[in-house]
Amino acid sequence: MLSVEALTVRADGVELVREVSFGIAPGERVGLIGESGSGKSLTALSLMGLLPEGVSATGSATLQDQPLLGVPDKRVKGLRGRVVSMVFQEPMTALNPTMRVGAQVSEVMTLHGVPRAEARERALDLLGRVGVEAPRAYPHQLSGGQRQRVMLAIALANEPSLLICDEPTTALDVTVQKQMLELIVELAPAVLFITHDLAVVASVCSRVLVMYGGRVVESGPLREVFTNPRHRYTEGLLAASKLTPRGTRLPIIPGAVPSRFPSGCPFRDRCAHASPACESDPALTGEGHAYACWHPRD
Amino acid sequence: MISYLAKRVAVLLASTATAGVVVFAFMALLPGDPAEVALGVNATPEAIEALRRQWGTDRPPLTQFLDWIGGLAAGDFGVSYVTSSPIGQQIGERLGVTLTLVVGGMVIALIVAVPAGTFAAVHHRNPLGALISAASQVGIAVPAFLAGILLVFVFAVQAQALPSGGYVPLTEDPSLWFQSLLLPWLSLGLVQGAVLTRYVRSAVLEVMREDYLRTARAKGRGRMGALWRHGLRNAAIPVVTVLGLQLATLLIGAVVVERVFVIPGLGDLLLNGVAQRDLLLVQGVVMVLVVAVLLVNFVVDVAYAVLDPRLR
Repeated sequence: MLSVEALTVRADGVELVREVSFGIAPGERVGLIGESGSGKSLTALSLMGLLPEGVSATGSATLQDQPLLGVPDKRVKGLRGRVVSMVFQEPMTALNPTMRVGAQVSEVMTLHGVPRAEARERALDLLGRVGVEAPRAYPHQLSGGQRQRVMLAIALANEPSLLICDEPTTALDVTVQKQMLELIVELAPAVLFITHDLAVVASVCSRVLVMYGGRVVESGPLREVFTNPRHRYTEGLLAASKLTPRGTRLPIIPGAVPSRFPSGCPFRDRCAHASPACESDPALTGEGHAYACWHPRD
Repeated sequence: MISYLAKRVAVLLASTATAGVVVFAFMALLPGDPAEVALGVNATPEAIEALRRQWGTDRPPLTQFLDWIGGLAAGDFGVSYVTSSPIGQQIGERLGVTLTLVVGGMVIALIVAVPAGTFAAVHHRNPLGALISAASQVGIAVPAFLAGILLVFVFAVQAQALPSGGYVPLTEDPSLWFQSLLLPWLSLGLVQGAVLTRYVRSAVLEVMREDYLRTARAKGRGRMGALWRHGLRNAAIPVVTVLGLQLATLLIGAVVVERVFVIPGLGDLLLNGVAQRDLLLVQGVVMVLVVAVLLVNFVVDVAYAVLDPRLR
């Protein structure tokens, strides 16, 4: 349904996302994980046609055979909010502070041709489904969790075929987080779920893509990747998120995400297994469970 | 909303009362007795005393104040020392002219600033946007009276297209009325417009970076559509603050511009009153100007609440 081929995102000649390819089948929930700066959000924004000024995407991406990349905004904006929707990370600032939330929900429908009265009625219904029964409230009268649920109602209003979630629960309390995730699982069609929280991915997604340095370094069925990671970065990421007995050192990935990644394998300057072979680019290989590493974990 | 309004009204009344005390005290402290000035240096003490009694300036200040402020509440400003005509009536005649001048200037400022500022913000990355910013910078550096003199020089002296001064009431001849006010409006409005352009630009730039504008685009709006539907109202909030300050500035600027263009407004009345030591008249005009500024602030406060639901 969604097919992304060789997506590359550049700003000022620097490649921020490089040759990313993946697909999402109808109804499938795919997780996109990695540290901050790995290119997850840029990947999502380029599918929405919402890249910031001065940042551009090449490659191809089609959703239900309609192109998302390389077409003028005039054409893509007809798809945004109708065929593909997005929920952002920061619920506190994502809603217009001077507009009632009911109006903000119905707007996305009238914008795509639903008659006003019908849109208003469906907005009430949608807000009820996400559990925010206050259409006349302004955003500041709602909690962060409620606002994020309003965002979800907006995103789902036109029954899109793909929902992109960019860290939708990161800014929420743990209890509220759970409600939000349950709602997404219950209501959403196919999902591309971006997060750095591995537990969240495990509870929502069936397949996972691991990004590092603007590349997909490993991908496959969630269970497979989480129990048997092959890429050294995935291995480190999983080790770092494991609960450890009190008194033992927390496992970490040494170093930090650099501002410029090395040539060849982007992880080689932080990797304990790096060798001269890593100076050349490893390709993402493997059917089903794929990884791009010269020295994979057995 | 009701309690917010009630609070604002209370603030307005309290500050008006305070303004009355300050204006009166200030005039009372000024050296020079109006009766002495009116009768000249050769007047006998008896004549001066008689005039004081007639005007009531021999009474204790508190009595005079209560008398004055009580009259104001009833719309009575007293009688001019110099012309013996009721001050309230004179102010009434002039107030309309000055308000026309100020409101016209503000309208021109808005007509210039909102499109120019928005354009400069949307195009902040290219030369045209930068040019507007630079032009507004020049405009800020020019005081209104200088702009007035320059406009007179170009349009009245060189091009002979518009009168260099004078005023024709609207009821007499609408076309001449408009011509007589056009240059004063421009000299007030263009300068304020230049200032306002910068505020509009920064307010629009600010909202363009807001997350909710990205949300609007994610709903399927284009860049400009999102800005129009979701940005402008939010950008208006800081702009209204500046607008209020500017209206006060315009009121003061009008006093000067009326002089340049020989327009019989409040400023003209005020300056004449000062020249003739007509203290009660000056006191009345100053009070009206102060109350006008306070009213503007009140309207700004109400506008905030209308624009921003978080304040209600």
